[in-house]
Amino acid sequence: MKKLFDIIEKYLMPPMTKLSEQRHLRAIRDGIISTMALIIIGSFFLVIAFPPIPRLAELVQPHVGNILIPFRLTMGLMAIYASYGIGYSLAKSYKLDGVSGGVLSIAAFILTLVPASIEGHGWMLPMANAGGAGMFVAIIMSIFAVEVLRFLHKRNFTFKMPEGVPDSVARSFEALVPAAIIIVVIWTVRHLWGFDIQGFVMDLFKPLVRGVGNSLWGILVPIFIITILWAAGIHGVSVVGAIARPIWLVLLDENLQAVADGVAIPNIAPEPFFQWFIWIGGSGATLGLVFWMIFSKSKYLKSVGRASLIPGICNINEPIIFGAPIMLNPLLTIPFILGPMITGILTYFAMALNLVGRPYILAPWTLPAPIGAYLATGGDWRAVILVLINIAIMMAIYYPFFKAYEKKMLLEEMANEEGALVE
Amino acid sequence: MLKVLLVCSGGMSSAIVVKSIEKEADKQGMEVKVKAVSTGEFEDELKEGGWHIALVAPQVRHRFAGFEEAAKESNIPIALISPQGYSPLGGVRVIQQIKEIIK
Repeated sequence: MKKLFDIIEKYLMPPMTKLSEQRHLRAIRDGIISTMALIIIGSFFLVIAFPPIPRLAELVQPHVGNILIPFRLTMGLMAIYASYGIGYSLAKSYKLDGVSGGVLSIAAFILTLVPASIEGHGWMLPMANAGGAGMFVAIIMSIFAVEVLRFLHKRNFTFKMPEGVPDSVARSFEALVPAAIIIVVIWTVRHLWGFDIQGFVMDLFKPLVRGVGNSLWGILVPIFIITILWAAGIHGVSVVGAIARPIWLVLLDENLQAVADGVAIPNIAPEPFFQWFIWIGGSGATLGLVFWMIFSKSKYLKSVGRASLIPGICNINEPIIFGAPIMLNPLLTIPFILGPMITGILTYFAMALNLVGRPYILAPWTLPAPIGAYLATGGDWRAVILVLINIAIMMAIYYPFFKAYEKKMLLEEMANEEGALVE
Repeated sequence: MLKVLLVCSGGMSSAIVVKSIEKEADKQGMEVKVKAVSTGEFEDELKEGGWHIALVAPQVRHRFAGFEEAAKESNIPIALISPQGYSPLGGVRVIQQIKEIIK
């Protein structure tokens, strides 16, 4: 087992470290995270428009169109918001002006849309690809915009303002040349040559999104990598999320659109799937272990268990990962990695067979899992039952390993006490 | 008053550790104020100034190099908290670490 940890430390950590430190991936991660508040609040309007209680649903039915406006203008324009966030973060990472990077990125993204003039309404932008569907385009255009900005900055291809011009004015002039290049290039490619950037990029990423969205691998691989990283004491979700989150968001967006259109929900595995059904109590579903520790005969395990209960209910489990510890502890690592894979498979099939609703709402991750699961599925009580079943399964899986570890701890504690008496 | 900036992934888990550090400091009669921030806020917070020490939570140690660079620019000593220190009962170890840094 020690060898396994050595292998992780030696072969898995360095590439993962590089990956999560990679400048563009970091900008994507930070940029997308900056839109989370809009996505969370926006998607809740969908629940209001289609409440789980039939009587209520009837009542709001005539107002659905109006209720969905905040949803459409947040979630439905997510790629635009994300463009700004990504452009801002990436520009800042190059020590360039963040706001210029953000604004140029929005422009670069919007230029890939084709406006149309509609009688009686004037010019309109199609929103179909401005939401989650346009996520990958937003990422690519933002990187393009900021790289142009950086290249010109490095070559000093900018208007320099004389001394005494206020900073903010100078900065907006510095972005003139980059803005001209970005606009002309994308305009030429998209509108003069008629090359469909949106369609091209979406087709490119389609296999990836499809492969993840509804396959068992799309669930087991992230679970395995996240838990094994945590077992080595590394924040697994933050590493894996850097790559997986754009995909998870596209899946979530497709589910939301389906609900808004009143058709069957297509995808099983957007992020809430992991958050509420698998990571109950935090990565590795440690809430089950916390319950055993609270009643442990070992003084140490008991006190760590008690201190970990409330954070655990809020899905914060660093106290138990570093306190028990689970990290680099072969006994507790086994259920920590295997348990979530088992509940993952169970949950996958429960959703694939439509025994439990599929998640489409993003709720704050610190909510207790049963509540989160209820909200995430738009108010499906069966989701709550599944979460409780998963907690019971995790308790059963942790039990034998916990007992073995407790025995070891008790022996140590006894030896310490005896040692103290002899002294 | 010693001001410590603690960075973890979301600034959530470290809130628990903050308590355990400050409690231990109280016990030892030290005046320590710890603020927990997320990885995204860290650099901006450093630049605000007024910090004496920066600490990094173990679960984001893969990003230590980046944090170290930022801390160096602001001329603030930075250290990685040991996994044993990053637990509800780990305050003692972290205070020990802080003492070694300011010595």
